[in-house]
Amino acid sequence: MKNKTYNIKALLIAALLSIFMIALVFFGSRKLQNFDAALVTYLFGTVFAFFGIVYRYTVWLQRPPTWIYFKRGITYLITGKVFSHFWFATKESVENIAFQKFIYPRGKYRWMAHFMIAVGCTSAFLITIPLTFGWINFAMAPNSISVYEAYFFGFKVMDFNLDSITAFLTFHALNWSSYLVIFGSLYYLRRRLTNPGLIATQSFEGDLLPLILLIAISVTGLGLTYSYQFMKGLAFDFLAVLHAVTVIMFLIWIPFGKFFHIIQRPAQIGAHIYKKQGMKMGMAVCPHTGEEFTTNLHIKDLKAVTKELGFNFDKEDGTSHLDLSPEGKRSRLAQAHLKARQQGGNLFG
Amino acid sequence: MAKLPVSEENIVTLFGPHKNYSPKEGYEGRDEPDQLVKTHCCFCGMQCGIQLSVKENKVVGFEPWMEFPFNEGRLCPKGVQRYLQNNHPDRLLSPLKRVEGQGFVPLDWEQAMTKTVSEIQRIQKEYGNDAFSMLSGVSLTNEKSYLVGKFARVALKTKNLDYNGRLCMVSAGAGNKKAFGLDRGSNNYSDLEYAEVIIVAGANISETFPTLTHWIWKARDRGAKLIVIDPRMIPLARTADIHLDVRPGTDSALYGAMLKYLVDHDMLDHDFIDNHTSGFQETLDAVKDNTLEWAEEITGIKKEKIEAAAKLWGKANTSFLLHARGIEHHSKGVDNVLGCINLVLATGRIGKPYCGYATITGQGNGQGGREHGHKCDQLPGNRDIENPEHRKYISEVWGINEKDLPGKGLSAYEIIEAIHRGEIKGLISICFNPLVSLPNSNYVREALEKLEFYVCIDFFLNETARHADIIFPGSLQEEEEGTTTSAEGRVIRIRQAVTPPGDARTDTSIILELAKRLGVKDKFTYDKSEDIFNELRVASKGGTADYFGITYKRIEDEMGVFWPCPEEGHPGTPRLWEDRKFKTPDGKAHFNPAPYKLPGEVTDADYPVILTTGRVVSQYLSGTQTRRIGKLVDQYPEPLLEIHPNLAKQYGIQQRELVKVSSRRGEGIFPANIVETIREDTVFIPYHWSGKKSANQLTPGTLDPISKIPEFKVCACHLEPLREIAPPSNESMAYASI
Amino acid sequence: MNYTNFNIHEEFFVDMQRCIGCKACELACAECETNGQESMIHVNYVDRASTVQTTVQVCMHCDDPVCANVCPADAISKDEFGIVHTANTERCIGCSNCVMACPFGVPKKEESYDLMMKCTMCYDRTSVGKKPMCATVCPSGALFYGTKDQIQEMRPNSTPVNTFVFGQEIVNTKVNIMMPKGSTELIIF
Repeated sequence: MKNKTYNIKALLIAALLSIFMIALVFFGSRKLQNFDAALVTYLFGTVFAFFGIVYRYTVWLQRPPTWIYFKRGITYLITGKVFSHFWFATKESVENIAFQKFIYPRGKYRWMAHFMIAVGCTSAFLITIPLTFGWINFAMAPNSISVYEAYFFGFKVMDFNLDSITAFLTFHALNWSSYLVIFGSLYYLRRRLTNPGLIATQSFEGDLLPLILLIAISVTGLGLTYSYQFMKGLAFDFLAVLHAVTVIMFLIWIPFGKFFHIIQRPAQIGAHIYKKQGMKMGMAVCPHTGEEFTTNLHIKDLKAVTKELGFNFDKEDGTSHLDLSPEGKRSRLAQAHLKARQQGGNLFG
Repeated sequence: MAKLPVSEENIVTLFGPHKNYSPKEGYEGRDEPDQLVKTHCCFCGMQCGIQLSVKENKVVGFEPWMEFPFNEGRLCPKGVQRYLQNNHPDRLLSPLKRVEGQGFVPLDWEQAMTKTVSEIQRIQKEYGNDAFSMLSGVSLTNEKSYLVGKFARVALKTKNLDYNGRLCMVSAGAGNKKAFGLDRGSNNYSDLEYAEVIIVAGANISETFPTLTHWIWKARDRGAKLIVIDPRMIPLARTADIHLDVRPGTDSALYGAMLKYLVDHDMLDHDFIDNHTSGFQETLDAVKDNTLEWAEEITGIKKEKIEAAAKLWGKANTSFLLHARGIEHHSKGVDNVLGCINLVLATGRIGKPYCGYATITGQGNGQGGREHGHKCDQLPGNRDIENPEHRKYISEVWGINEKDLPGKGLSAYEIIEAIHRGEIKGLISICFNPLVSLPNSNYVREALEKLEFYVCIDFFLNETARHADIIFPGSLQEEEEGTTTSAEGRVIRIRQAVTPPGDARTDTSIILELAKRLGVKDKFTYDKSEDIFNELRVASKGGTADYFGITYKRIEDEMGVFWPCPEEGHPGTPRLWEDRKFKTPDGKAHFNPAPYKLPGEVTDADYPVILTTGRVVSQYLSGTQTRRIGKLVDQYPEPLLEIHPNLAKQYGIQQRELVKVSSRRGEGIFPANIVETIREDTVFIPYHWSGKKSANQLTPGTLDPISKIPEFKVCACHLEPLREIAPPSNESMAYASI
Repeated sequence: MNYTNFNIHEEFFVDMQRCIGCKACELACAECETNGQESMIHVNYVDRASTVQTTVQVCMHCDDPVCANVCPADAISKDEFGIVHTANTERCIGCSNCVMACPFGVPKKEESYDLMMKCTMCYDRTSVGKKPMCATVCPSGALFYGTKDQIQEMRPNSTPVNTFVFGQEIVNTKVNIMMPKGSTELIIF
C-alpha cells in the first residue's frame, strides 16, 4: 500500500476529543457525585477506546478515497434540498445501520444472527457507557419505598414502580442483550468453524477471537447476575474481574480489529449518497461496449484518486484506461493479446 | 388416446421443466461427502471422468477426477453442473397414469405394470406383434442397451425397435462399415497430439465436445495446422489456419474437389492404395469433373482456400480427420462421410501413430449403444440382424429359436411415420424425446396423438412423455452400475452413486419386470448389471465389436479398455488398422464414390434462405436434463436466430428483433442475433427447445437412403421480421416450452 | 488462515486465445467454497457482432493492487503468498471503487449484498495444495495452474508475461499471461 498511517493530525484530534469527553464525564456525573467508583476501570477502558477510535477514524478519513466519499457526502447533505437529503440519509441509516438490510440477501440466518448481535451490543453500549460515565443513575423516589427514579446527566427522566414490568425490563436489559449476543455469536462461530470457504480465509485474531470475546463478555455478565440472584454470590468477585478483563479487551480492540466496522459502516451511506448524486450528474458510457456503467463523477474522482495514490492510467491520446467499463477493459486486454499473438506469428505453442 | 390430458401449461406447472439451482452455499455436506464416486459424465460421447460427491444417498457436488487419462479433470459447463440433475424437484417419484381432464395421477407399480402388459398384449393380439414398437436411446449404458435390444426381440417379439442414435452418427456408422467393415473411430484422441494437419468437418467441438479441444490445442502447440469446415465461424474456426465456410448441404462437393486436387498433384500414398484398398478408380472417376472452380460455385468457398486446404492435407506426414453431425445430418450423410474417408485413404494416413480418422460420437454411449442391439437392423457385437449366421449365434446365446427372432424393423423416423399411417399402434420408449429431437415436430406430435397406448420410462416427464398413457419413473445414470463406450471406443465403468429416490426404480428392474410379466422370465435372469455385461461379452464374441476380453475388473484397473478385445489377455485396441486387416469381406479398405447430389430441399423464391441447426455449449440434445439445470439455462436462455448483417439488412432486421422463420412444415418466432460469423446465405437456430421454440418444427423429415438419418442440417426457410424487439433473454421461458 | 499447504511453486497461466467461451470455469467457480454460488471469473465476448472471440479473466493478483489502494474501507488485503483477497465482508461498503479502478476489470459488485466480491485464486483449494477450480476444469488450457517448468514443456514457443502496460502505468502481477516467445510485457492500447 502506498498510504502511510503515521499521523500527527489524528493524534491531536483524538487527544482533544478525549479531553472533551473526560470533561463531559466530569460534568455529566455532577462533578463525580453520581460516578460509581467501582466502574473506574471501565471508564479508563472506554476513554482509551474512544481515543483509539477517533485516532483511527481520523487516519482513515485522510486516505484519498475515503476523504472523497466523506467530502462529497457532507457537501451533498448541506447543499441544495437539504431536507430531502437528510430524509434520504435518515432512511438509509435506518435500513442499513439499524437493520443491516444488505446482509439479508447474503443469508436469512446470517442476517438474523447479525441483527441479534447488533441489537444486543447497541443496547448494552447505550446502558453501560452512560452508567460508566455517571451520566445515568437511579434513586429511590423521596417519600416512597417502591418507586424508582432514573436520572440522566443529573436530570430526572422517568420513574417506575419497583415491581413493574418496566422495572423488570430495565434492570435486566443487560441480560437480554447478553442472550441476543450469545445466540448471534454462536451462530457465527458455528459458521466459521464449519464453512470451508471461511475456514480457508479467516484468521483467529481477526475473526474468531472477536466472537469468543463477545460470548465471554455476555456469559460472564450473565454469570454476575445469576451469581447474586440464585447462587448467593458464588464466585462473584472472580466473575467480576473476568467480566472486566473481557470488556476492556473488547474496548481496546475496537479501533484495531473487527469491531471497527461498526464505526466505519456509516460510510456506506456516504457511498449511496455519492452514487445517487452522481447519477443526477450523468452516467459514464464505456467506449468499448457503448453502455453506461457508472457515474461520470465516479470516474472523474477515481482518476484523481488513483493519481494521488501514485497510479497513472492516462494514455498518450489524452484518454484514460479508466474510461473503460470492466467488460471493456477485459475486452481491450484480449484484443491487445490477440494482436500481440498475431504479430508473434502463432496463436498457439 | 395419446393427446395431452390437460393443457401444456398445466403439465409444466407440475412436472417442469423447472430450473434447479444449488443452494447459495452449496448442498449440505458438500465439503465432507460420505464418498467420492469415480464415474463419468452423463452427457456427451467424451464421457469425461468425474467424481460425484455423495452425502446421505444424494449427489451434492463433484470433484474433478485428475487421473482419468482422457480429460484429467477437465470438464465442460454441462459436466460441471451435471450433479444438479440429482435432487431435482421435477424428478418422477412414482408411476403415473394419464387421466383425461386431470393430467397425470400417481398409481402403484402393480397397477401400472398390469395395465401396461395388458395393453401390449391387446395391441399385439389385435394388430400383430410388430404393431407394438419400442424407441430407445444411447444415454443408456451398454448393459441397458443390450437389455433393451433383447427385450424388444425376445419379450415384445417386435421387429420395430430403434433408437435415438438414428439422429446421431448412423451416417458415420454406415460409412465406416462400407469403408472399413467396422463402426468405430479408428484412433483414440491421443493420436491427435502429433498430427501435423487436423481437419474438423461439421463438428462444433468447442461447444459440443469442449473437452476434446484440449487435444486439438495440444497438437497446435506442437505446430499442427487446423482446417475447420463449417458454415459458421465456430469458436474452433476463429483461430484455425483455414476456415472453409461451406454452404450447408454441399460438403461432398468440397471433398470431391480436394480428392481431385490430391490426385492431380499426386499427393497420394500409392503403396497403401495399391495394396490395402479397393475401389479407387471408380471413386476417381466420380470426382474427375470436380474442379476447384466447380467446387467454389457449389460450396461457396473461395477456391484458393480449398486449394490451400487440399495442399496442406496432401503434404502432411501425419494427420487426423474428425467429423460429426454437421456432415452426417444430411440426406446424403453417408456420402459425406465416405468423401472424408476417401481423403484419408488416398493419403494412407491411417493405422499409424498420429494418423487418425474418427467420427465424434455425440451421445454419452453413442458408441457402445449402437453396437449391442437396439438398432433396428442389428444384433449385439454389431452383428447384422439379417445375416443367418449372426441370427443363429445370438439366438443360441439368448436361448430362443432363431425363427422367433424378428428381422429388420423400421428406423426411428420411419416408426413415427408408421404410427402416423396407423400401422403401429403401441409404443414403449425409454431415454428418447422424439418430439424435440426428431425433425418436423408437428408431424411427430400428430403421430403421438394417434397411438392407442404409449408407455414411457424416464426420470423426468419430458415433452414426448406428456403424450404417454403410463409413465414409469426410471433411473438416472448415477443410479445404476454399468459400462459405456466413449467416442474413442474406450469401454469405461459407470458407477452407482445413489439409489433411485421415492418409488422410482432402476431402468433395468423395470424392463426385467416387464419381461417377466410378458412370460419370458427365464430368458432374463440377472442379479446385477455385471451379469448382463457378462452375457453381452459372450453375445459380442466374434462380432466386429468384440467385448469378450473386457471385464468390470479390467476396466477399473486399466481405466477403460478399447474394443475390439477378443480375449481376456488381449490389451485392447486403442488404434485400429495397424495390421492393415480391414473388416470388409475382402480385407481391404474401400474407396466409395460419393458424387455430389443436391440436398433434399433447396432454396427457391418462396423459401430463399438456408436454415441449418445445431447445438449450444450449455444444452444437451433435447434438453430433458439440461433445460432443468438453472445455470445451464441461464447461460443460453432461448434459441436465437443467427443471421449475417448483410442478410439482416435485406430484410431490415434489427438486433434482437423477433423474426418469424417458416418452412414448408412449420414456423417459429426467434429473436435475431446479427453476427458476421455465419455465411450470408444461411441462418442458424439451435434445436434444444420444444414447442413454439423448437427449431425442429421447421426441419424436414428427408432421410438418408442408407443410414435413415434425417436431414437436420439443410432446410429452405422464409424470414419475416415482426418489427418488434424481443423481451430480454433472461425473461424467456423457452426452457419450459412456454 | 489455513495456508499450511500452499504450493508456492505452482502459478497461474492464462492464454485467452485458447478460450472457447464455454464457461465451464464460470460454473466451476461457483463450486469453489470461498464465494458461494456466485461466480468470480469473467468470460465475455469481445465483440460478438464481428467475432466469436471470448476472453477469460481471473484476478491477476497485482504486486501493488490498485483495488486495495482505492478502497475507502481498507477492505482488501494481500497476503504473504501474493494473493489479493476478496473484500472483507464487514468492512466493504459497496462503493465499487475497486470495480472501476481495477485495470483488468476483475472485482464484481454484488448489488443485492452491497458487497464487492472477487477471485481469491480458489483460496480454499490452493491453500491446501489443490489447483483452482477454473483451471482444473478448463477444457482448452486457456487457464492453467502448475509449475513454470510444466508450462515451458507444454508450450515451448510461448513465454509467461506478468507485466502489463496501461497508458503510463506499469502493473506487475502474480498471474501470468502466455505471450509469444521472448515477450516481456503486454501493452494494452
